[in-house]
Parts: sequence; C-alpha cells; structure tokens
Amino acid sequence: MRRLTRIRQIAEFWRIFQDPVLFIGLVLVVIFIAVAVLAPIYKMVEESRTEKGQELFDRYLTSPVYQTIIENTMRMGLITAALGTALGFLLAYVQVKVAVPFKRFMHIMALVPIISPPFAVATAVLLLFGRNGMITRGWFGVRYDIYGLDGLSLVITLSYFTVAYLNLKGMMLALDPALDEAATNLGASKWHIFRTITVPMLIPGIAGSFLLIFVEAVADLGNPLVMGGNYEVLATRIYVSIVGLYNTTAAAVLSVILLVPTLVVFMIQRYWVSRASVVSITGKPSGTPQQITHPLVRWPLFALAMSVCLLIVLIYGVIIAGSLVKVINVNNEFTLDHFDFVINGYGAAAMEDTTKLAAIATPIAGILGMLIAFLVARKKFLGRSALDFATMLGIAVPGTIIGIGYLLVFNRPNVIDLPLLGNVTLIPKLTGGRAIGGGSIAIIMVYVIRSVPAALRTGVAALSQLDPAIEEASVSLGAGNVGTFWRVTLPLIRPAFFSGLVYAFARSMTTISAIIFLTTPRTRIMTQQILNEVENGRYGNAFAYCVILILIVLTAIVILSAAVGTSSGAERTVEGGA
Amino acid sequence: MSETRTGRLVLDNVCKFFTQRGGQAEVRAVDGVSLDIQEGEFLTLLGPSGCGKTTTLRLISGFEMPTSGMIRLDDNDISFRPPNKRDMAMVFQSYALFPHMTVFNNVAYGLRVHHVSRAETHERVENALDLMSLTGLAGRRPNELSGGQQQRVALARALVVEPRVLLFDEPLSNLDAKLRVQMRSEIHKLQRRLNITSVYVTHDQVEAMSLSDRIVVMNQGRVEQIGSPVEIYRRPVSRFVADFIGRANFLEATVLSVEGERVTVRLLGQTATANVNFKPQVGDTVIAVLRPEALVLRADATLEQCMVDQAMYLGSAVEYIVSLGDQRLVIMETDPREENVFAEGSTAGISLIPDSVHLLAE
Repeated sequence: MRRLTRIRQIAEFWRIFQDPVLFIGLVLVVIFIAVAVLAPIYKMVEESRTEKGQELFDRYLTSPVYQTIIENTMRMGLITAALGTALGFLLAYVQVKVAVPFKRFMHIMALVPIISPPFAVATAVLLLFGRNGMITRGWFGVRYDIYGLDGLSLVITLSYFTVAYLNLKGMMLALDPALDEAATNLGASKWHIFRTITVPMLIPGIAGSFLLIFVEAVADLGNPLVMGGNYEVLATRIYVSIVGLYNTTAAAVLSVILLVPTLVVFMIQRYWVSRASVVSITGKPSGTPQQITHPLVRWPLFALAMSVCLLIVLIYGVIIAGSLVKVINVNNEFTLDHFDFVINGYGAAAMEDTTKLAAIATPIAGILGMLIAFLVARKKFLGRSALDFATMLGIAVPGTIIGIGYLLVFNRPNVIDLPLLGNVTLIPKLTGGRAIGGGSIAIIMVYVIRSVPAALRTGVAALSQLDPAIEEASVSLGAGNVGTFWRVTLPLIRPAFFSGLVYAFARSMTTISAIIFLTTPRTRIMTQQILNEVENGRYGNAFAYCVILILIVLTAIVILSAAVGTSSGAERTVEGGA
Repeated sequence: MSETRTGRLVLDNVCKFFTQRGGQAEVRAVDGVSLDIQEGEFLTLLGPSGCGKTTTLRLISGFEMPTSGMIRLDDNDISFRPPNKRDMAMVFQSYALFPHMTVFNNVAYGLRVHHVSRAETHERVENALDLMSLTGLAGRRPNELSGGQQQRVALARALVVEPRVLLFDEPLSNLDAKLRVQMRSEIHKLQRRLNITSVYVTHDQVEAMSLSDRIVVMNQGRVEQIGSPVEIYRRPVSRFVADFIGRANFLEATVLSVEGERVTVRLLGQTATANVNFKPQVGDTVIAVLRPEALVLRADATLEQCMVDQAMYLGSAVEYIVSLGDQRLVIMETDPREENVFAEGSTAGISLIPDSVHLLAE
C-alpha cells in the first residue's frame, strides 16, 4: 500500500514533465541561468577566497582608507535610497491622489530617466551646478563645488527614482478607494487617512523601493566616475583595480565586500515584496479614488513636484543643447560637428554594434522573462523559488561584479576531461577580441541577464492578476500546456511582454558597469564611448552620443509597440468575469 | 444539438492530502470519497466551505491528482490523465471567459482545439448560441455582456464540445438572487433535455435540492450522506446533515416501543412514530429531528406551552422563534390566517404534525 502511494507520487511528479516542450524549456532555462548568472558570481567569490585574496581581505578590512570607502558607499546608498523613495512617493502621490494640472507631463518626466544614458545626467548637472555652472556661477555667481557626496546623491537620485515612482504609483492605484471612503465615512480627515491608511498600506512598496534604489546606487559606476571627485566608493575602486591596476584578485575581493550588503538588502527586499501580496488588493476598484483639492495641500505639492520635473527638463535640455553647440557655456555657437563625429566618424561602428547587440538581446530577454514567469507562477516543480531567486540575481548583483565574473569564467575555454572523449570544450572562450564574435556573445549574455529580472517581475505580476481559471478553462476544453500558453496566456499578458521588451532594450543600450570590462576593439559600445568622451572633457561629443542613444531607444519603442502592441483586447480586464 | 455522449463516472476511495508548506502537517482535503455516478445523472456535491467538494471536483477534472484511490470514466482509469484529455468540460465560478476573444471565438475554442472543420464549428457554435438564447451577441466581448449572459456563454462553451461529463464549480454564486433562480431553472431544463452526466458543486442547499438527482453532503473531506433530495431532507443520517440542509430543531425523545424498524417515542408530551435504521432499546433517549414545518402552534391549553419570542410574517408563511424551557425552536407555519398569528410575548400550545419526525441515535 505504501509502495503504491510512492509510485503515485512519482506519477504525479512525472506528469509535470509529460509535456516535452515544457520540460525542455525548463531544462534550457535552468542551464542558461546556471551558466550566465550563477557561474560568474561563484567564480568571482572563489577568486576572492584564494590565499592572495584572503590576505587582501585582511588588509582592506583593517585599512582606514578602505574603511572610509566602505562607509562612503553605504552612506551614499542610504541617502540616495531615502531621497529617491521620497521623490518617487511625491510624484506618485501627486499623480494619483491630488487634483493638479499637467499630470501627463509630470508622468512623462518621471519616466524619462529610464532611458538616461550613464554620465548624461551627471555631466549635465555638472554643467548646470558645478564650479563653472550655468546656474550656480552664471546666475548666482558662486563657485559651488558639487563634486562629492552632495552632487553624487543628487544625480543618483534623479537617475533611479523612477523605480520608486512606478512601484508606488501602481500600489496607490490598486488601493481600493472604498478604504478611503470607509475612513472618510467614519469621520477621518484626509491627513488622518494619509497617516493611518495610505502610508501603512504602502509600507511594503516604500520599503521595496528604498532597497531597490539602495542596490542600484551602491552598484552605480557611471555617476561616481564623473561626480565622485575625492568621494570614493567601492564601485569606482573596483573599476580602477581592473582598468588601472589589472589586479583581478583585488577587484574580486572588493566585489565580495560590495556583494555582501547588496545581497542582504536584496533578500530583505524580497521579503517585503512577498509581504506586499498580503496587503493587496481587490481585483476591481469599487470607484475612482477621491482626489485632494484643498489648496494648502494641493499647490505646495504641485510646486514641489513640478520643480523636480522642470529640473529634469533642464537637464535633458542641457544634453540636447550641449550636443548642438561648440562648447556649451563657453562657445555657444551652433554646430553639427558633434553629430558628424558620432554618425560619420568613430561613433558609427559603436552605434551599429550597440544597437545590433541590444536588438539581439531584447527578444531573448523578453521571451525568457515571460517563460520563467509562466513556470514560476503557474507550474509546480522542485526548485521553483530557487529559479526565481537565481534569475533575480542578474540584477541584484552589481554590474561590475557580473563583469569581473564573466572575465574569470569565459576568458578561456571551459573544458572538461571526459574518460573516453578526452578534453571536451563545454563553453568556448567568450570574452575578449579573439573570442567568437569578437566577444559579442558575452555582451549579449550580460544584456540578457540584466534585463530578464524586470521582465520576470512584470510577467509574474501580470499572471498573478490573471485568474488561473481562464487557463484551466482552456485546458478543460482540450488544449495542452503549450497551446494554452500561446492562445490564452501570452495574449493576455501582452502588455507585460511589451514592457519587458522595452525595458530590455533601454537597459541594454544604457548599461555600462556590467560590460565595461567586456568590450573589445571588435565590439564598440556606445556607453563606453560616452565614458571616453567625458573623461577627455569632450562633452559635446558625449552629449551627441546621448541624444542619438535616446533617439534609438525611442525609435525601438515605436517599432516594438507596432510589432507587439500595448493594447490587447483584454486591456486591464484580466479577470474571467466582468 | 446532436445526441450527447454521456459517461459513467466512478470514484473509488479517492483521497487528496496536501502537505502544508514548511510543516509536516497534512491537510486531508478529500478523505476516502467513493461515488458511482450514473450516465445522465445530475449529482451535486454540497457542503460548507472547506469540506472538500471543490477539491473533489478538481480531482475529477484532472486539475489535481489524487494522493490515493482511483477515478474511472466508462471503466477507464483516468486518475492521472491530464485534464485536457478527459473529455469533460467545466463551468467555472468566475466563468473564466477568454477576455481577449469574442463570444463566438470563446464558444468555438474547444472545437478549434479539437480541429473540428470550419463549417461544422460554425454550425455547432451557432446552435449552442441559439440554445442559450445568445443569438446576436456572437461578436461581443465578454466585458460587454451582463453577468447572466456571461454565464450563458460559459455554459455554451462547455456544452458545444459535447463532453462526456459536465462539471460545474459554483456557477451561480456570482449572480444576483433573481438571476440565480432563473439560471437554475435553465440549467435544470437543459440538463434534463440533453441528459448529460453532470457533477455540480455548491454550498447553496436550495440550488442542490432543486437541480439534483442525488446530493452528496460532504464534511471535512468525507461523504456524510448520499441520497435524493427527499431522502437528504426527510431522513438525514446525522445531526450535521440535518442542520446543513434546511433548518432543524433537535429535541430529546424517549423510546416507548420498538417493533423492528418502527420506533415510537414520546416528546413534547405527545407520541410520534418513525422508521429508524439503528436499534434503540425501550427507555433510551434518542434525538428527534423536527423541521420547522413539522411543528404548529395552537391556542390549546392541553398542549405543552411555549413562549413566542419572535413572530415574523413572511407572506406565504409565518416564522416563529419560541422558547420551551431553555431551548429555542423554529416553527414555520404556512398559509397563515391573520387572526391566527400569535403575538410576540404570548404563550401558545406546541403540537407535532404526524409522520414528520425523524430520529437519530444521538
């Protein structure tokens, strides 16, 4: 009897793999994540644990210089996480809950930083508010030293607050307006509702945003390179160890020091997000949220939100203006030289390579994201949450660490010695100019693993709003797993698929920290070129690159929305019923 | 609609245990259920939430796999057959219409999956839409339909594939009261006409009584009683069934005489006789189950007197809550005359309707 039960358990387990397409899909996904995400991280940690690495550990952790760097990193992370979350909250709250004009404009301004090329914001802020800043010196006549913690916090906040904005706006929209109405009905004032209902309900979102921005901030490389000045952080130290000193072990050791707090924070964030699903959220809002119209609340909030949006306009204005004049703020004579340099000169190859590699990575990341989301959200199998976690590591681990890991793993062929076949190359050399495709395969892999987590999350979110009965209805009418996925699931989560694709392309085009060690003379990457121009003070060229990069991303969004479409017939009605 | 194929469905000691996440504790959602559902029969699984009725339905449909036991359809073991190969169609509580498809495409979905020819698909979908009075709505999207219409589309979509077994998962619970009554009668008519084996899950006993050939009352994963609506109502096997189906008063009664299955008892100062399927001894105390309509109030001082706590006039009936010592009873008197309604706070004699007493061992 007991044995019979055992056999049935196996039968049940086997049924999951009865569908060969699904099974093969799962195996391929697991192999890809193991090779492209886990192996590099593992190798990097291993490198730091060599004898030489241990020695460096001891030295770094006791040296006052490095203690300062670690402190700097954490301080900067905490400050920007707090500022970014507050800014995201402000804009989301104004957008959802306050009756103000220009909402559409503010919404777009809050989204713009998603396609900000690295260095662009930092360089523009430098030109506006630096020692010779157009505003600080030009208008107020002060020589303000913006380098360091203050400037860095400003640019990182402006670069990453969008995460908090989108996150919190989604949650605010999903809050059942009946809660507000019930509280009002019981006699609560708006301020009382804000304190006792809105904020407590949003705490998982606030915590989640805070931690996400923290992870992004401490991993950021582009902004500290431009804006850091003497304020050194771990990410820049790691960069210098590789690019300046060619010391991979030192870089690996520093990476592990950076990895520990990042991973801790990432795990706390996962915990909060898992809590968020408890708070949420009835499917159908029972009415439209009531908006705040009290002038003493409305107009100060409007002024605050609007000034942030205008600052963003100003920054992007400087980027565009800077690309069209000789030397901005010095010689404001109109010129197309910078664009000529980029389009007809050295930049042409970079434009082509970057766009091509990003375009290859985008559909892979989008489909992979939806597939993993489908597996994780809908199928029961051993190691389901481990797969989710491992996929998320692609973004949770700082880009510099991913880059070093790739160098360590893929800079030579990975060979195993098999008994009969002798040496078999499992994975050929992927990085460096002499690798297959001039090192482009490694870059594509990095693009994919950095983009898949976002697609996975939007996919899982879309699936969790989709009544599983709809898919079950398809199965009960005779369709198989694959048929159901193509005919029912994918059309219904098409908006998530679309945003996954857009994010993947934008992220790939603008990423720097993860691929800075992987570019080769045969794979020229725009962000790398922008860094070169910035480092040599040729801001005009850098801005021209940025403008073109933004235009490429915008064009891609137009093409993608024509090809995939944002509006499925289902719109937001993903519940089976009304 | 053409001749419907129909199947005999047998559940043999089926169990489904869930292991709770992290813990060793096992939840016995379905615990040894055996059923023999005849061709064309309408069987309802009835019980309070958490009783295992929905899990049983999901085991039949194949969305869950049994921990042990066997499910057979026309003598084939289908316990582990994937749900899309079972030749059953399900009507979901949320209807689960495909929101991105028109009514026509929703209904045609199952036929396309089975590669039915274009012409035949068209004809069968049209017929199904006609049958469900949906003609003219074929081009609409589900979100452009009323709740009742969505329900009809869900039914049409399930019927059009001519399944061997039709499964219903609380299909009427999302409708308002009036529509629910109307759809109930439509499902009733349709099932009788198509004579299709049906398994219906509900927690609404009126729905179960009005639709079913047989009702399965479930409690904590086990079958409490199987029987026709009349059997379940008139001769419940346990206090749980009596209490769950309709309303019941439970009174202690003393056994006066036993003649085979015929038992005479004394309660409320009167004698009553009932058939029982247990063996009481003279002098034993048993439980009498009295439906509200098994009792009447009379202005008669020779009867046992009770106090009228509440009197609610319902039009076709009057409902009393009375106290008898420390016990409260519900009494439903049909077709009350105005002059006969007792006022709250008055006393009245309480009388048994003959042949309406049911006895339980304890």
